[in-house]
Amino acid sequence: MTPKVKPAPVDVVIVGLGANGGTAAKVLSEAGLKVVGLERGPWLKNDKHYSGDELKFVNRNYMWPDSKLTPRTVRRSETEVAEPYPFSMTPQLVGGGTNHWAGWVPRPRESDFMLRSLHGDVEGASLADWPFRYDHLEPYLTKIEWEFGVSGIAGADKTEPFRSKPYPSMPLPPTRWGKKFYDACNKMGINAFPIPHASVTNGHKGRNPFNRTSFWNQYGDPSGARSNTATTFIPEAIATGNFELRSEAFVREVVVGKDGKATGVIYVDEDGAEIQQDAKVVILTLGAIESARLMLMSKSSKFPDGIANSSGLVGKNATFHEYLFAIGFFDKDIDDPVYGWAGNYISGGTMDFYETDESRGYIGGSITAASQTCHPINMVFPGRPLWGQALKDSDRTFFSHAMKIGLILHDLPQEANRVDLDPNVKDYMGLPVARITHKAHKNDIAMGKWQVDKNVEILEMAGARKTIPVYLDQMTGNTCHQHGTARMGFDPAKSVLNEWCQSHDVENLFVLDGSGFPTATGVNPTLTMMANAWRCSDYIADYYLKGREMRLDQPK
Amino acid sequence: MSSKADWKTILEPVNPDSNEPLFFTKHEWDTVEAIASRIIPTDHDPGAKEARAVVFIDRYLSGISYIFASADGSGFLEIDGKHAHSWRARISDLQKVYRDGLRVVDEVSLSNYSKKFVALDIESQDAVLVKVSGQPKPGAVNLGTTEPATTFFQFVSDDGLPFWPAICLHVKQGFYADPVYGGNKNHMGWKVIGFDGPKSLKDTMDGTYTTADKFTGDYNWGDLIPVLANQSDFPVPVKSEGMYN
Repeated sequence: MTPKVKPAPVDVVIVGLGANGGTAAKVLSEAGLKVVGLERGPWLKNDKHYSGDELKFVNRNYMWPDSKLTPRTVRRSETEVAEPYPFSMTPQLVGGGTNHWAGWVPRPRESDFMLRSLHGDVEGASLADWPFRYDHLEPYLTKIEWEFGVSGIAGADKTEPFRSKPYPSMPLPPTRWGKKFYDACNKMGINAFPIPHASVTNGHKGRNPFNRTSFWNQYGDPSGARSNTATTFIPEAIATGNFELRSEAFVREVVVGKDGKATGVIYVDEDGAEIQQDAKVVILTLGAIESARLMLMSKSSKFPDGIANSSGLVGKNATFHEYLFAIGFFDKDIDDPVYGWAGNYISGGTMDFYETDESRGYIGGSITAASQTCHPINMVFPGRPLWGQALKDSDRTFFSHAMKIGLILHDLPQEANRVDLDPNVKDYMGLPVARITHKAHKNDIAMGKWQVDKNVEILEMAGARKTIPVYLDQMTGNTCHQHGTARMGFDPAKSVLNEWCQSHDVENLFVLDGSGFPTATGVNPTLTMMANAWRCSDYIADYYLKGREMRLDQPK
Repeated sequence: MSSKADWKTILEPVNPDSNEPLFFTKHEWDTVEAIASRIIPTDHDPGAKEARAVVFIDRYLSGISYIFASADGSGFLEIDGKHAHSWRARISDLQKVYRDGLRVVDEVSLSNYSKKFVALDIESQDAVLVKVSGQPKPGAVNLGTTEPATTFFQFVSDDGLPFWPAICLHVKQGFYADPVYGGNKNHMGWKVIGFDGPKSLKDTMDGTYTTADKFTGDYNWGDLIPVLANQSDFPVPVKSEGMYN
């Protein structure tokens, strides 16, 4: 069926305007290209729609996808029927996950790009090197830190690889619980530092960072403090006059022409009209779950198993991280309050446990950071009594006397862990939803155990008088981090995208989110994703759309 | 249909002193209030009864007019389009969960004590709730122990919850949510636990509400991060400058 409405073709159509779509929109429109951005969700305005309403933002999912409208399903193995579960329901609106996120933006490490070279074959895992190295990305990490706005202290993380510039903004002072973390780490010889934060505390680029509310993780920020592409890169793209944003536009297919190239996309607008937007280049930035789903839904005679899927790898090797942590409680009668609910979610952290030490019984490692225990309704307190005097007493005793140290689990890729189309469950459009098949690797379980136990040690050194460690059982998708479903590589038989996140099969289709990550890294991925989206957007503007090509050599 | 970005603001903040149910029958209202009093009891501090958790729950279950407060807390958003359809289905399911659940509470009360729940003493009420929940009454959380848990899904919606965990969640929400929703009257839930939250949602939108005093004032980056003394590529700060100082 060919839609009747066909707006004028453009140079580039971007599907999904979150962290990465926003980056591509800025870079390509500033390069003088005509760009249309399609976002399935609304365009909420930070100064009009956001405030510190815990019930609305955390419990009633004002900003998050409604799981009745757009469900996901999850199963642990091939033999199970997947059950509906809100797995990794990253917000779908202009700005995407940069609306709700806490904004941890640590840099990746050199080892993250070469796990296969470092570790060879690991049983049950599908390790692969990245087709480029940290050095290729460094200039773009710096661009994101300065253009998007990141606060931190250069040199404070002694494990960080080369950086070409310091940060444009100082971090927040430590929270009370952050200070406990620093003091404990110093007693233990651990290098603690302020986790780089996608927010500014100064007037960088004209921003007004007045939010001091502590309503941070999961909330929208009404001020200019948090870095959100909806308040930074997207307005900058619009200001070029080259970028048109269409919100409430649900893309259901990438269309392939007779020559095997993508001609554009078909989307359904708010009133149910089908519209075809043609473009010279199609960029997918829906996140690794929804980008894979759209590719798998885009079936044609040339690509019966989904566009750009001659390798059969679209959707496979999915990695999701998992947020694990330990809680520490202090004694209200003896200890000063640490106000675990205050702060902009993160404070001090460390990368000392990031690199492989095989004596721990696993490979790889994770970033570790102290973070908020959150607000009254949803205090992060596993084992919080459900009701009665015990509930009231424990809330009254521990609400301001709790702290948390968490980590981002660096999970290993496995080919069987994947995203595909659920054969039974449909969304409100009648389209098959993303089905997640995922089982944790034994390396993931071992890493989680060791690192959570380390967090307990730090809490005890900080003076905690009770601890609650939370170990990995199975991934719940609680980080919203998504990677791997269209892995990058040089060999078209073993990868979906090349080193520019360009499809091996469809030369004008690029996937510029985490889908291309061959491995997950052990840091929060958004900085790496955005830097890579910028790098690949430069390639589109400077090479591909000028009819030129450049290939990287296989890194050593 | 209008986009979520264009939903209109309707109504006004809920009056916590209202005794007019929009959803519950009078008996259901009284039963919910009695159950709420056992979920967060009154002691030397107010409990869910004084905080008006029953008003909060009644408004929530009354339809889709009290789901999302407007950002500044002046009223509620008029949910439209596909979201209205979805929320109507969600609330309709919850209404049934409550109607059935409250009936079971009275059935258990009658069969064990020959009285409805609201007429029981609090020890008997707790015994009924233990039976309804199928779990022992939660015990105190004590210091000096380590209690492991496994992976945790942090964001608590009420989709698919059975009656008992649903009402426990909703009473907690009615005790701690912003007062615009009808509970947490005069912020009394927040006062009980020492959360000095915002006077109004609007105060969180313009810089009026601040938690700057909950940060560490007395610090020096060089003391907290000893490796800074050894690096010379970039300037080494003493303290942060800007909005929190």
